Parts: sequence; structure tokens; C-alpha cells
Amino acid sequence: MIVIKILGLIFWLAAVPFCMGLNFMPLFKERFKSAGAVFAAGYILFFVALEIVGIPVVLFTVYHGFTTFVRWFTPIILALSVTGVLVMLWEKKRGQVLFPEGFGRLREASPEEKFMMVLFLILVGFQMYMSFTRASFDGDDAYYGVQAVIAQQMDALYRVNPYTGRSAPLDVRHALALFPVWEAYIGRMCGIHATIVAHSIAPFILIPLTYVLYYQIGKVLLDGKERLLPVFMILIALWQLFGNISIYTTETFFLTRTWQGKSFAGNFVIPAVLWIFLCLFASKGNADEILIAPKGMKNKENWSKWPEHKGIGEKGFWILLACLNLAGGASSSLAILLSCMMTVGLGLLFAIRERRFGILIKTGFSCVPGGIYVLLYLSLTHGIFVP
Amino acid sequence: MFGIFMESFVILKLYTGLKLLLLLSALAWVYLLVTEKNKSIRILLVYAPIIVVALFLFPVSRKGFVAMGLDGETYYRILWTIPLGIIFVYGICRLFERHRRIGLIVGAALTVLCGSYVYKGTYISKAENLYHIPNTVVKICDLIGAKDDHSRVSAVMPSELIHFVRQYDASINMPYGREMLVNAWDYYNAVYEAMEKPEVVDMEELLKATREEYCQYIILSKERQTKQNPTDCGLTLLDEIDGYLIYEDPVTMEIVNGWRDYYEE
Repeated sequence: MIVIKILGLIFWLAAVPFCMGLNFMPLFKERFKSAGAVFAAGYILFFVALEIVGIPVVLFTVYHGFTTFVRWFTPIILALSVTGVLVMLWEKKRGQVLFPEGFGRLREASPEEKFMMVLFLILVGFQMYMSFTRASFDGDDAYYGVQAVIAQQMDALYRVNPYTGRSAPLDVRHALALFPVWEAYIGRMCGIHATIVAHSIAPFILIPLTYVLYYQIGKVLLDGKERLLPVFMILIALWQLFGNISIYTTETFFLTRTWQGKSFAGNFVIPAVLWIFLCLFASKGNADEILIAPKGMKNKENWSKWPEHKGIGEKGFWILLACLNLAGGASSSLAILLSCMMTVGLGLLFAIRERRFGILIKTGFSCVPGGIYVLLYLSLTHGIFVP
Repeated sequence: MFGIFMESFVILKLYTGLKLLLLLSALAWVYLLVTEKNKSIRILLVYAPIIVVALFLFPVSRKGFVAMGLDGETYYRILWTIPLGIIFVYGICRLFERHRRIGLIVGAALTVLCGSYVYKGTYISKAENLYHIPNTVVKICDLIGAKDDHSRVSAVMPSELIHFVRQYDASINMPYGREMLVNAWDYYNAVYEAMEKPEVVDMEELLKATREEYCQYIILSKERQTKQNPTDCGLTLLDEIDGYLIYEDPVTMEIVNGWRDYYEE
């Protein structure tokens, strides 16, 4: 039974999001194609699906909301996983290398670099061990944690007062942030209590997910100086361990409230905005872009005659940014505001620097899903829209 | 406006905890300001953070934040958009580019010395089970919890257990929950007034309040002093679990069972 549950967790927490992320493969620049990027993109797409399916269900389903959600959400994410696999096969068929980097970097690394990466993995392992064996008390769990338990046990979404258990009108302030519903969903699919998912299981995916993102950030920042990457990762892991300078920092949230949407906002959504902007603007590689063969072309050598093939990969990250600006809403309504604010601010700075008005237009488009979410949130909280 | 600025400044101070870790980021930021050549990285790690701090302290930003209906207490989260850790770590990597071992040792030592270990907090304890809630709560909930999927029970709990009960079993309702423990929210609840406010609990007052809320169970710490013996007031002692006395109220029980039988018929 335990083995089945563990296999279920691997399937729903790792395999499905990874396969979903494969949908982005053709849209990424060659140099950004990596298992880590696919995994991060997969989680972004996963939470986009969660919001698109979950919000209408929460708003319009009074009874058996969670069952309704499960019925709609499951086929959609499975379909997205299948399309991801098909995209991967199609990419392979047209001669694309799926993960150009592969384990090459690890193989080429010096023993010292390997040792440092092992040190980093020990630090991450320690954080996961502590998250499993240590209980961190936080009053907000009485709200968010219980919402997940209510979804599982009462089959209601945001229509029961989590503190008392009494029926209540829809909690419009929190109803759009569906992170607890994700935990309840994973619990339902694997037959595990939502509180166990939140406190004992979620950190095993959310902690590595954050480091996957930092690894991607490090790769772009240290482009050409990859031998510094293990140092970067070790210091980032230590910064997380010792960043508890107040109860407000993202580092404190990361390791003491890992399972809460706010932590996901600070430790995934916001760094992801930074990662995407780094990929969009801080990469110096042009040579790799000519490696991307056009549709149906198997021979890359022919393709190299088309050096002006730019723009592929850029679009992919703008699309991913647009997805992120909606996915963030799963963690908290403020997360969307922060990610859209960052998008607009950074978009403006880069538009000025590069003197390209087009960046502002793309920035605007990437904020559309988040903007719709914010409008919905405002109309709900100000009583303009009453479902 | 100056008052709002000062409020934001205090929030900034609280955020940094006045610890030296911020200084490390600030020094790394200065280093990147002087040396970073990649213009895109300059925008992301040098210009953007200082703009965020300026906007954070700008009084109109805070006014706008609250006007949007967002909780003013979460204003500090705007500071999350400043990647303090990345600025420091990238700064160290750049500074010790040619001496990475020394860079690693210096960076690690500074982080450990200037930071604060995340697991040393008073709210961190050894997990007693996979739920990460006290075993006592699990045992109490297992004793009083609803026996079938369709029914619910109601129980009044001591304040130290309140946060955990419904994280384990959502079929256990409570007349009040965490909302009564947050002083700033300042709600009123008759059961809470009778249960938590007096030093010595007046059981008759408490029973009057719990019966109005149809509470079947009352859980009291063994240490809690009561004016009258609970069993003399008509309660039945079900069990004692880890220093907590679990009482059942037969009067409410009968009423609630009556409702259940009615609906089942």
C-alpha cells in the first residue's frame, strides 16, 4: 500500500508536471533546454491548469465542489502530459536533441566541482530531512491547511469557515488562491490526508523545485563560468538555511512554511520571473539559435545557413511569463500583483535599455492573464461580481 | 506622508531584522554596481532592487497598496521582489572568480556568522507524527470524532489545541477557533468568554454557553481550575488523555442525536 502511494506521489508530483513541461520544448532556445527548465515550466503550466479549472468550480459550485474539480482537472492535466510526450517525440523525430546539456556538464566537471555538488546536495537533503522530521508551528495553517482538509473530507471549496466548521459564504478573499486545493488534490489521488501532504510530502517537491530554479538562474548568471555554479548553489543553500533574520523573509517562509502558498510565491513565483527575464535578456548566446532547425528539417547543417533565425525561444519565454503571471495566483492573490509588477517594471527597464517598444507590448500581453485575475479578484472583493 | 514613510521604514527595518546579512547583500550590491559589465544583469540585480526599495518607502505606494484592498500587514512582501540572496551569492562568485575555494569558504562563513539559523526558532519542534500536529490532538480527535462520514460533532478545546484539531479532522466543529486567539481581530464569542477569560472556569456559565452552541464535548486541561466539579454539573468524563480531561455533555448529545435520527428517518 505504501509503495503504491509513493508511486502515486512520484507520478502526480514529478512525472505529470515534467511531461506537461515538455510542451514548452519547441519554444525554448537550444541553450535553455534542460530537464530543470522543463520541470519548472511544467509546474507553471500545472498551476495555470489548476487556476483555470479551479476558479470557475470554486465560484459556481456550492456542493461537491472538490469532486467536481477532480473530475475536470484530472483529464486536463493528463491530456497536457500526453501532448507533452507527443511534443517530445515530435522533436526527437525532427532530429532535435532533447536536452543538449544532458549529464555532459557533470561528466566534464572536475573532481572538486563534483565534490562541491555533493556538498550542495547534502545541504538540500538536510533541509528536506528537517522539513520531514521537524514540525513548524504556524497559525495560518489553521486556515490554509484546514481548507485542504475541508476539501478532502467535506467536499467543499472555500464555503466552510475553517476555524469553526460552520457553513459560510464563499470566502472571496482567498477563493482564487488554490494552493490548498492542489494539496488536497494530491492527497485525494494518492489516498493521503491533506495535512500529511502539506507538512510531510510537499517539501520534498517544493524544496528541490526552488533549487532547480536557482540552478537555472545560476546557469544564466554564470554563463561561461560554469565552474562557479557549484559554489553558487552551495551558497544559495546556506543563504536559505541562515536567512531567518526575521519572520518575514522568503528564506524563513521557505523552510518553516514550505507548504503554504505564500512561501511558493516568494520562493518560486518571484525567482521564476527573474529567471525568465535573465533568459530573455541576459543570455549572450546567438550561436545556438542557428542550431534550431525549422519544422521538418532533420539536418542541422543546412539550417546553419539561416543565421538570422532569431526570436525562437524568446516567444517561448514570453508565453511562459504570461503563464507564470496566472500560475502565481494559485499561491496568493498578492503573488500575481508582485509578479505582474515585476514584469511591468523589468519590461519597462529593458525596453528603455534596448530602445525597443516591442518589449513593452510583449510585457503587456504577458500580464493579460494576471490582469484578468486581478480584475476578478477586485470585482469579487468589492462586491461588483457576486457568484 | 512622513508618517507613512516612517511606517514603511520601520517595516523595512523589521524585515531585515537589523542583522548583518542585509549588509552582506548591500556590500555585494555596491560591488556589482561598480564592476558588473553585463547590462542586463545590472538591470536585474542592481537597478531594479534600488527602485523597489525607493518605491517601497514612497508613501503613495503604501497608500495604493491598501487602496487596492490588500492587507496592509503584508506590505513587506513587496521586498520579496529583491533577490537579496542572489545578489550576495552572485557578488561573491564574481569577486572570487579566480579563487573559488576561498570564495566558497568566505561566502559560507559570512552567511553563517551574519545570518540566523532557520531551525533554531521556538516554533520548531520534533514532529510527533506525519501530520506534524501533537499526538495528543490526534488521540482526542480519534476519541470524539464523528463515527461516520455524514455526521459532525462539536467540541470546545483549550486554546493550545485549537490550531490543530481541524487540521486533523474537519468533521469536528468548534464554537470558536483561531480567530479568537488573535488579539488584533478582537472578536466576541460567548463560549470563549466563559472558557478562556476567567482564571477559574465557572462550569455553569460555560455549560450555558456551550449548550447554546450545541457543543457535545468539552475538553479541559487537568491544570485548569473550575468553580464546580464538571461531573457535578452533569458532564460525563469520557477519558483522560495526556493531561486533558474529555467531557461529554449528555444533554446536548441527546438533542444532537435527536436531530440525526430525525434526518435519518
